[in-house]
Amino acid sequence: MMRLVQVLYKKEMIDASRDKRSVMAGLYYAIGAPIVMCLLFTILLKQLSSPEALKISIENPDAAPNLVAYLDGFDISHSDDDSVKPIKLVIDLKYAEDMSEGRSALVTIIADKSDNKLIKSVRRLEGVLARYNSEVAGLRLISRGIDPSIMRAVNVQTQDQATPDSKGGMFLGIATLSIIIALFYSAMNLAIDTSAGERERNSLALLLSHPLSSTQIVLAKVTAIASYSMIGLVLVLIVSKFAYGMVPWEQLGFSINLDLMFILFCTLIGLPIALMSASLLVFVSFMAKSFKEAQSYVAFVLFVPIGLSMMTTYDIATDYVQWAPIAAQQYAMIEVIKGNELPLLQVILSSLSTLGLFALFTMLSSKMLKSEKVVFGL
Amino acid sequence: MNKYGSHFVKLIGQSLTSLAIVYSGVSFAQQNNTLEACYVEGLADRLMCGSVSQPLSKKSPSENIDIHFAVIPAIKQLHPKEAVLAFAGGPGQSAIEVASIFARNLKYARENRDIILVDQRGTGKSKLLQCDTGTIEEQFAFNDHALSFVTFTKEETSVCKAQLEVDLSHFTTVAAASDFEAVRLALGYEKLHLYGASYGTRIAQEYLRQYPSSVLSATLDGVVPMQQSLVAIGDAIDSALNEVFLDCMADKACLEQYPTLADDYQALLLQLKNEPITVTVRHPRTHKEITLVITESKLRGAVRMALYGHTSRSLIPLVIDSAKKGNYHPLVGLLGNEQTVGSIAMGMHSAITCGEDWPVLTQSDRQKYGQSYFGKMMIESLDMVCPIWQVEPVEHDFYKPVKTNIPILLLSGGLDPATPPSWADLAMVSFSNAKHLVSPSATHGVASQTCANKVIGQFINTLAFSELTTDCLDKDNRKQYFMNINGPVANHSNEHKK
Repeated sequence: MMRLVQVLYKKEMIDASRDKRSVMAGLYYAIGAPIVMCLLFTILLKQLSSPEALKISIENPDAAPNLVAYLDGFDISHSDDDSVKPIKLVIDLKYAEDMSEGRSALVTIIADKSDNKLIKSVRRLEGVLARYNSEVAGLRLISRGIDPSIMRAVNVQTQDQATPDSKGGMFLGIATLSIIIALFYSAMNLAIDTSAGERERNSLALLLSHPLSSTQIVLAKVTAIASYSMIGLVLVLIVSKFAYGMVPWEQLGFSINLDLMFILFCTLIGLPIALMSASLLVFVSFMAKSFKEAQSYVAFVLFVPIGLSMMTTYDIATDYVQWAPIAAQQYAMIEVIKGNELPLLQVILSSLSTLGLFALFTMLSSKMLKSEKVVFGL
Repeated sequence: MNKYGSHFVKLIGQSLTSLAIVYSGVSFAQQNNTLEACYVEGLADRLMCGSVSQPLSKKSPSENIDIHFAVIPAIKQLHPKEAVLAFAGGPGQSAIEVASIFARNLKYARENRDIILVDQRGTGKSKLLQCDTGTIEEQFAFNDHALSFVTFTKEETSVCKAQLEVDLSHFTTVAAASDFEAVRLALGYEKLHLYGASYGTRIAQEYLRQYPSSVLSATLDGVVPMQQSLVAIGDAIDSALNEVFLDCMADKACLEQYPTLADDYQALLLQLKNEPITVTVRHPRTHKEITLVITESKLRGAVRMALYGHTSRSLIPLVIDSAKKGNYHPLVGLLGNEQTVGSIAMGMHSAITCGEDWPVLTQSDRQKYGQSYFGKMMIESLDMVCPIWQVEPVEHDFYKPVKTNIPILLLSGGLDPATPPSWADLAMVSFSNAKHLVSPSATHGVASQTCANKVIGQFINTLAFSELTTDCLDKDNRKQYFMNINGPVANHSNEHKK
């Protein structure tokens, strides 16, 4: 029985590798996705971070030379040219008088806070103004013989348990999502071709006429497809390792580092997912009556793993979803990148349930192959 | 099929378990397994802390002290075998306690490399040598002008010595350097970039002299030359204060508000020298009525400490002017503010000054440095306390300038009241690959007030001076002086009346 499956597996692998263009088309994703993703990230990071020298318009700067110099110390200055951000700081005409008499002197920030590109710069300006406030307030207290530390009724200290590796947040989710999806994308064409395609070429019936059980046939097909999935996975991991290393994450104070350990770990937990994905794609393709129909169904079915993965990425109902197949594995991948403890129980349980699904879909496919309606696409 | 299933599960199960073990080994920073997560005040980031046991003295290796250190992890680790080792000032400051300052000064260096902070022996958590410094009430009421001052200081020193029960000779710069090397070896870094500020530049140079093969580069910020005694500081203090007076004269508003500032200060000092002023003031924190004896040295000391930062510096004219007019609130504020800066381990401080700066003073040194008030005061106080501490003088080779071809960046502030630019020039006589950058308006510690942190990041990345962009060091970051107790704006209501 084993030997027959092996022979069949070999046949399927040769079959698949003959259509080189189709194989490559599947693998393009694995090579292209991380690169495109990193380009997007680089642009996004630039937009999210405030420019080092922030140019804004300052109205009436002569009223508050000290404040203007203070802002300049934090690289925030007035400019009239094109580099200026649409943020305006208006210094009140009575600023000097109010300051001198110990009243709050008015400065107004005018900006559109719904503009995502501005938000970081506006926050930076607000932060620097708050620092100026406490600096002058501190000096005012010292001038009155009072220790400024009394302003801090409680000494609030934050102990951030994150590490630079774990601050990636949403970026980590998207990165791991793109890796998991490679398992599905790399095998999609192949799965359709080896099932619906084989039927359309009328070679499926021929295959079934041999002294083989339908389970053996399905198993051979699924393992062959899974093999290509795994090639896609390894490829996406290697490309990602280099591509993510190029993104200037440190600008936002974190890093995403895919080390060898992570690559090995992903390859390992990717194996059951590859089998499950292959069996699911084959099952769906057999359900369709034609090649074209199969393509639509497969595209539709891909939403399930993407959806599960998205729930992890955006942290929706993580308490429950993190036990579900795919979502759990992705959660574990994120934890490994972060350098946290591996959620071993979840990984084992989800891998088991993933394998369970693989068994289920394989069984369903082999049952379908016993029906003439399916075999001849009637 | 079941056979397949169980086989896979077993395989996955086994490999996961081994991954978990290996992985947890890797994730706990470097090879060292004794590190644990820790935090310091003012810095939210998670650091890794640990310690190495070092012999107290090379002669008697039986007695050990624990040298504590902290690692600020790189944001994006590109050079796992390199790190930046930061040395604190004082002498007597704990490097770990001021981690937030180092994190700022080395912000750009940290993007790709870990930062190591080591509590030098005698400071912080590494066998702290500290004695009671007295409460604010005691310090305010203390009259250092009285005849009993000398006896009092000697008594206090003896009490402190008895309390510490340790030979301070084991706490000199030379003795401490090997602790830093031990930390490097324990953490498994191959090469280090050094960053020292103030006194930290002296220990950095000594480390470089003893372990040249461990060093890739050094940045010395506010440089103390090996050839020079710290007692020479007096001139720098005087000229930094003089700059304040010149600044104020050059500024129209300041000149109008404080027309006779320098004269007022001298008059005030003369008055205090003849007779200290005793007043009842409010405690800066508790608001209780307490006694303040204003002496010459207290006023000078408060003004001197205010020169260290631009923020406190902006109060100096107001403090002098008010005190001259009999309003001591601003002075009380400065004196009270000084307390929070503190946290210098006095025992360790004495080990360094008595072992390194005092024994080398010649008669002509004493005459030269004694011309300034602070030089004279320091010599007098070292003459009082050092015979009690009995620190073994360091070897004479210690005072030789360090000879090296390792790239060294020297930073000085033009308004520095402690380590003026001329000191850096003296330090670099035997550096064959060095560059000295001066930020004209910076005070003590250039990296914490200017863009020098960016320059340091570039320097560590390239180790080439030609590629540094240093224009921003010329930026004038002086602050306007307070014109009244409310802020740096002259009172316009007077003008309106005119």
